[in-house]
Amino acid sequence: MTIRKGFSWRNLLPVLNPGDNSRMDARTLYALSCLLVLVQLPHTLNMPIWVSAVGLSMVGARLALLKNPKHKLLGWLLSPASVTGIAALSALAIKWDYGYIIGRDPCVAFLFILVAAKFAEVRRAIDATLLLCLCAFLLLTQYFYSQTIIAAIVTLPAVVALAYCLAILRDAKSPQNLIFHLKLIGKLLLQGLPIAALLFFVFPRLPGPLWSLPDSSTATTGLSDSMSPGSIGKLSQSDAVAFRVEFDNDTPEPNQLYWRGIVLSQFDGRSWSISDQKFHASATYFNKVQSQLKPSIDYTVTLPAHQQRWLFALDAASSQPKNYNASSRQQATASSTTSRAIGTVFTDGQILARERVTQPLRYRQSSSLSDVIPAVHKPRADTLHLPEKNTRTIRFAKELRARTSSDRAYAKEVLRHFNQQPFRYTLEPQLLGSTPVDEFLFDTREGFCEHYASAFVVLMRAVGIPARIVTGYQGGEINNDYLIVRQSNAHAWAEVYLDGVWQRADPTAAVAPSRVEQGLAAALPNEASVPRLSRQTPGLIRNALLRWDTLNYHWQRLVIDFDDDSQKSFWDAIGLGKAALWQICIIALLITSLWSAWVIGLPRWQRSTLERQERHWNRLVKTLGAHSLTRQHTESAADFLLRACEHWPACTSQFMRLSIAFEQLRFQAIDEGQQKILNTQLLKDIVWLQLTLPFRRRALPAN
Amino acid sequence: MSLLATQRSVSSVDAHTPLSHVKAQLETVLLGKSQQIMLALSCILARGHLLIEDVPGVGKTTLAHALSASLGLDWKRVQFTSDLLPADVVGVSIYNSETRRFEFKPGPVFTSILLADEINRAPAKAQSALLEAMEERQVTVDGVTHPLDEQFFVIATQNPNDQLGAFTLPESQLDRFLIGIQIGYPDAATERKLLEHGDRRAQASQLSKPLGARALGECSDAAQQMHMSSPVFDYIQALILATRNEGVGLSPRAGLALVRLSRSYAYLHERSHVLPEDVRDVFAALAGHRMTGSVKSGHIKAREILDKVAMP
Repeated sequence: MTIRKGFSWRNLLPVLNPGDNSRMDARTLYALSCLLVLVQLPHTLNMPIWVSAVGLSMVGARLALLKNPKHKLLGWLLSPASVTGIAALSALAIKWDYGYIIGRDPCVAFLFILVAAKFAEVRRAIDATLLLCLCAFLLLTQYFYSQTIIAAIVTLPAVVALAYCLAILRDAKSPQNLIFHLKLIGKLLLQGLPIAALLFFVFPRLPGPLWSLPDSSTATTGLSDSMSPGSIGKLSQSDAVAFRVEFDNDTPEPNQLYWRGIVLSQFDGRSWSISDQKFHASATYFNKVQSQLKPSIDYTVTLPAHQQRWLFALDAASSQPKNYNASSRQQATASSTTSRAIGTVFTDGQILARERVTQPLRYRQSSSLSDVIPAVHKPRADTLHLPEKNTRTIRFAKELRARTSSDRAYAKEVLRHFNQQPFRYTLEPQLLGSTPVDEFLFDTREGFCEHYASAFVVLMRAVGIPARIVTGYQGGEINNDYLIVRQSNAHAWAEVYLDGVWQRADPTAAVAPSRVEQGLAAALPNEASVPRLSRQTPGLIRNALLRWDTLNYHWQRLVIDFDDDSQKSFWDAIGLGKAALWQICIIALLITSLWSAWVIGLPRWQRSTLERQERHWNRLVKTLGAHSLTRQHTESAADFLLRACEHWPACTSQFMRLSIAFEQLRFQAIDEGQQKILNTQLLKDIVWLQLTLPFRRRALPAN
Repeated sequence: MSLLATQRSVSSVDAHTPLSHVKAQLETVLLGKSQQIMLALSCILARGHLLIEDVPGVGKTTLAHALSASLGLDWKRVQFTSDLLPADVVGVSIYNSETRRFEFKPGPVFTSILLADEINRAPAKAQSALLEAMEERQVTVDGVTHPLDEQFFVIATQNPNDQLGAFTLPESQLDRFLIGIQIGYPDAATERKLLEHGDRRAQASQLSKPLGARALGECSDAAQQMHMSSPVFDYIQALILATRNEGVGLSPRAGLALVRLSRSYAYLHERSHVLPEDVRDVFAALAGHRMTGSVKSGHIKAREILDKVAMP
């Protein structure tokens, strides 16, 4: 029987799954369900519970239908129509739940439902490829939520499952066991790793994030723009990392580590808040800072997304904060260049970023280590403002000032007062009423740094000395090659305007010197509310946690923060300067093809050492194999070509000529001239066959 | 197709013609068994001994008879029995009272083709007497060495070993036979023809003798000049290696024999070169009895090996 098979373009395209309408087999379905669950599970942390439940139960229902294909209700429930209905209802529910639909969370939730729905209605084997693509996409969306090492590790099983599914799709006809596939995908994934690494390095990055990710959490701990009694103490009970710092040279002494955050000068008698009017620091300001001739240091700050605008720098900042990249590291001290400044220093020494920090930020900063902030203009009125509230304090201040000779001596006297009177430094002071400074100074006499700083500033203002509160962090913990500053390092201190400059005065240091010298735990040895990681006792867990922090820090530094700037410096380093896109493409293609050649190309090179006729023979066998006429390995050349004649009778003369030529070249003793002629003729015939076979009519069906 | 034919005829040798005549004659005697005839002929061309194993009555003796007749060689026949003595094969010295000397009376082994019928019915002593003659191409009786004919072939037939009253040939002696073949039952059409026309054995003695001993010798020498290309040698090596992975493998001597046999087989096909197909076709006959000790099971095993080894 002759089956007529005309030419069609479809035959030229590779077919992934030849059995078009065949049902998906159980093995593929189980593998896909495993993959889907692995992809879904991490998402359940970010989804409303009902979305996770709907998604997971659809997978479960599909498996139940597989076990019991005759089940009527399940069959009806998972029919394309009702699954579409479920998806549509879910979309409405998502809109109702979130209140909006265009945004990260509802869109991911919708995708989550859709992928599960597709799996629920899948029947045909060919749909597996589509599902794999969907799963890969859903897997990727996890990185919208978290880019930590944990997130990367969590996605690994799903990646393996994805590769496994791809592998089993290829051997639908002769299934292999799990070990075989695991070995195969392990090998393939390892072979792909260098290419992935290469793409990571050279794939062009956009200068900013592709789209601005929404604020993930509103409840981050950190300094706020106001301070009232107890607010810093509360913050100090958290172990969370405020930021991390890498110093170019040596780490300064602990008592120099005053990380300036927010300057608060408005006072309502109880709480302090940020000033309404702020001025950008000019070159004059930076000149004044540098003219103090204090040691200058450069460092890199890695700030997690804290949803505020504050940036932190050691007192006194001598440059604008600049985006981190390799070049900025080399010329760090140039204070006036604002080309890549990501924030601004203000005249009160505070630094604000251009916009809220919603992504982890890495910036370069330099500082002159000094406890003096230069004043470029006269202190403003609000640094003297004092509500008529804490009357006892004001009276006490005036008496004390009368006894001292100068403002500076008065400030020293106040600090001595804190030092010598029975004041107590504690994280858990008694609660204060409506006149907190009075109560603290004369009644309770116990408090945390904000109580002391607040009282000190009030005492200064009471006698007409301009003063203000600075909140920020003090100290930090050295972990290998960088410094961790935690929320427990949060601190508040005072600054007084003396002799034309703002002089730092830390009353906490007067009460509990060890707080500044050795940290919180040393100052508060017996208090239970000091967080675990801030305590000084060494321990296994603490050590492990510190190491984990190191790992995370480097992950952030090397992987997440690898952006277009890092890429540019990478191109600089290999001497390409500004690499054009085509150069990058050529380099990537070159390396990739070299690697691929090394991995898969070796057999080809070995073959090229074969004699010409053997190469031609292999080529002919391959050509016919591509038209699904495979040579049996025990079939002789003549038999094989005879079979080819039966398939393509129109080409009989070519095949017979080839058969004879091959026999002569391969098995007969002929001279070189004849060999050359025959080889040329062979090649011609083979190329002719390669070009024309797709258009020939076949007498026999392909096997 | 005509092109193919001319290409091949270019390489044919003149001496082929009488050989193809022999082939045609044999096919008229032993119907429908051209493959066995080709193998037997190439065995003779390769100067090897032939072992035919099969049940009685399928034409073993007829083949041997016709072979020797159409090759134009002397032939003698020994029916091996359980009381056969070595002297019955090689000959004996008898005291001549007239000359008062011992005289050597040559046994049936002094001929060109010795047909040893049912060799596995004789006890070991008689078997080994013959096998020594096969290997050395000479016999020694009472200290005197008598050379055998230059063209000396043994065509031995044997019943399958599972038949009663059979002495199995040891493997070392089986190795002396170049090939072991089975005849097998004829197919239906052939059998019908046979039944209608009666036994062909009588025809054997009336066959013409197109080839003499000298011409056969020349053909043998010419056959060993066949060109064998390196892919074919590769194939032979791969086959030998494959047998060694399966227990008792082929020895280097067997490998050499395979080369010789393939060349003769190619010569019989009137080609100037050896094809992998030649090696494939002769392999089972050559390797079978060497690997298992029995032709029948050996052939099965040899085919398994052929299925495993890729052809060039």
